[in-house]
Amino acid sequence: MPVPKPQRETWSSKIGIILAVAGSAVGLGNFLRFPAKAVANGGGAFMIPYFVSLLLIGIPLMWIEWTLGRFGGGFGHGTAPGIFHSIARKNRFIKYFGVIGIFGPLVIFMYYLYIESWSLAYSFFALTGKLNQVSDQTQMQGFLQAFQGLTTNQFFSSLAPAYTFFFITFILNIFVIYHGIKGGIERLCKLAMPALFFCGFALMIRVMTLGAPDPGRPDWNVLNGFGFLWNPDLSALKSAHVWLEAAGQILFTLSVGIGVILTYASYLSKTDDVVLSGLTAASMNEIAEIIIGGSIVVPAAFVFFGPMEIRAVADSGVFNLGYVTMPLILQRLPLADFLSFLWFLLLFIAGITSSVSLAQPVISFMEDEFNLSKKKAVAIFTAATFILCQPAVLFLGRGVVDELDFWGGTFFLVLFATIEAILFSWVLGMEAAWDEIHLGAEMRIPRIYKFIIKYVTPVFLLIILGTWFFQKWLPVIFMEEVAPENKIYILATRVGLFLIFSLIAVMVRVAWRRKRQITEGTP
Amino acid sequence: MTLGGWFSLILSWAGILTLTGFCFLCIFRKDSGLD
Repeated sequence: MPVPKPQRETWSSKIGIILAVAGSAVGLGNFLRFPAKAVANGGGAFMIPYFVSLLLIGIPLMWIEWTLGRFGGGFGHGTAPGIFHSIARKNRFIKYFGVIGIFGPLVIFMYYLYIESWSLAYSFFALTGKLNQVSDQTQMQGFLQAFQGLTTNQFFSSLAPAYTFFFITFILNIFVIYHGIKGGIERLCKLAMPALFFCGFALMIRVMTLGAPDPGRPDWNVLNGFGFLWNPDLSALKSAHVWLEAAGQILFTLSVGIGVILTYASYLSKTDDVVLSGLTAASMNEIAEIIIGGSIVVPAAFVFFGPMEIRAVADSGVFNLGYVTMPLILQRLPLADFLSFLWFLLLFIAGITSSVSLAQPVISFMEDEFNLSKKKAVAIFTAATFILCQPAVLFLGRGVVDELDFWGGTFFLVLFATIEAILFSWVLGMEAAWDEIHLGAEMRIPRIYKFIIKYVTPVFLLIILGTWFFQKWLPVIFMEEVAPENKIYILATRVGLFLIFSLIAVMVRVAWRRKRQITEGTP
Repeated sequence: MTLGGWFSLILSWAGILTLTGFCFLCIFRKDSGLD
């Protein structure tokens, strides 16, 4: 006789899940990665491929994930294996594609938490005045490296402070996750998202009112800073690379292709509107990216570093922009400690609303497919991820974080998005999928999207994936860009990832075998 | 900032703000039962 399943949680309000999905999407990428990519890829002209990608892959994938999640939730499944199985019940293999939807977020969680903890630490250092003791680029670089345990200097002599903040961040995340969808994540996002927008707008207004702080260099003003980001270089549009960069940024920023939105949407009821909610969450993310993200780092850096140095600043990488350049810029302003605190608080809020979402697929998998209680599922998750996060903390200098980011945050993200798009329109079938999207919908999606979702989105994603294979797979597989002394660490990371992937696949098999035995009444 | 820069900025900002405003208007209209 089938064992009755415990009642699944639900969101308490529509705005709650919209803020939660927007919170999951808004992260470091909005404030650091977007402006750096725009500057490097044609400025204002970058917005053309960016918006085309938003319309052709970003918004369709949002709708696909929201719809698939709600669809699977109706069958009691909150993660990709169960959701894919619900699409084609006779196919015994399809659920294994869904392993990526649990593996991907888990891998991102393994390193993202550590990076998130740096923001908490730096906001503390800003308040205590420690950050203000550093006065130039080299010293600030040294401050960051010593904090990360890569070197020692007058600021830090060990990894202990970084580890302490990692531990606090880990506990905070577990606290939110333990309180569940409604009491934890929804409550956090209802408080955190307005706070994030408040911090973002406050910093944006401060940057917009900078004028030209150096009277000797009137050209180094904030308007020219905006011009540096927005003046279009139309020749960039001829480059395939720019189009791929824009598409990559859209996937990355909207958090589609990870598996998180599937899980969040599985807690909706059958007639909750996914068309409007998906579009609202995407547009909120775009406000954080285009309006706030585009108005802080680049214009501020231009005003203080000038047109010659800013390209080097933008090319110096996301972490340098956030943790080296920005504190130096903010130091030159009145109320420096407070503004630095606000900046790192903004990054921390963006981080925690994303990291709690990354945990949810694993928790939901244990609850839905193994009938574990929330308490047991969170206890297992806590023990497992505490161990799994250690390589990122201890071997950062060996390239472990970059390796985890490549597989979890880049490659599997594009691969999973491609699988979802194909399953949705070709396996579920476009007619059924179109009806499913519109269940309870306030408005109809323009019919052109039927064509876009069925043909354009999968082809666009296959082109991105194909280009990657063509350009990168040999150097990546043979670790051509890895320093010889780090190869053993990268190899160990890959073996570890393979074992985690295999373990999740075995768990999927065990879960379905148990279900079949229960249904058939065999021991 | 060039004219092209202003054009890119204003068009992007206006597009995103209009879309978000429209979405929230629809949500609040539905929730308040104005439809």
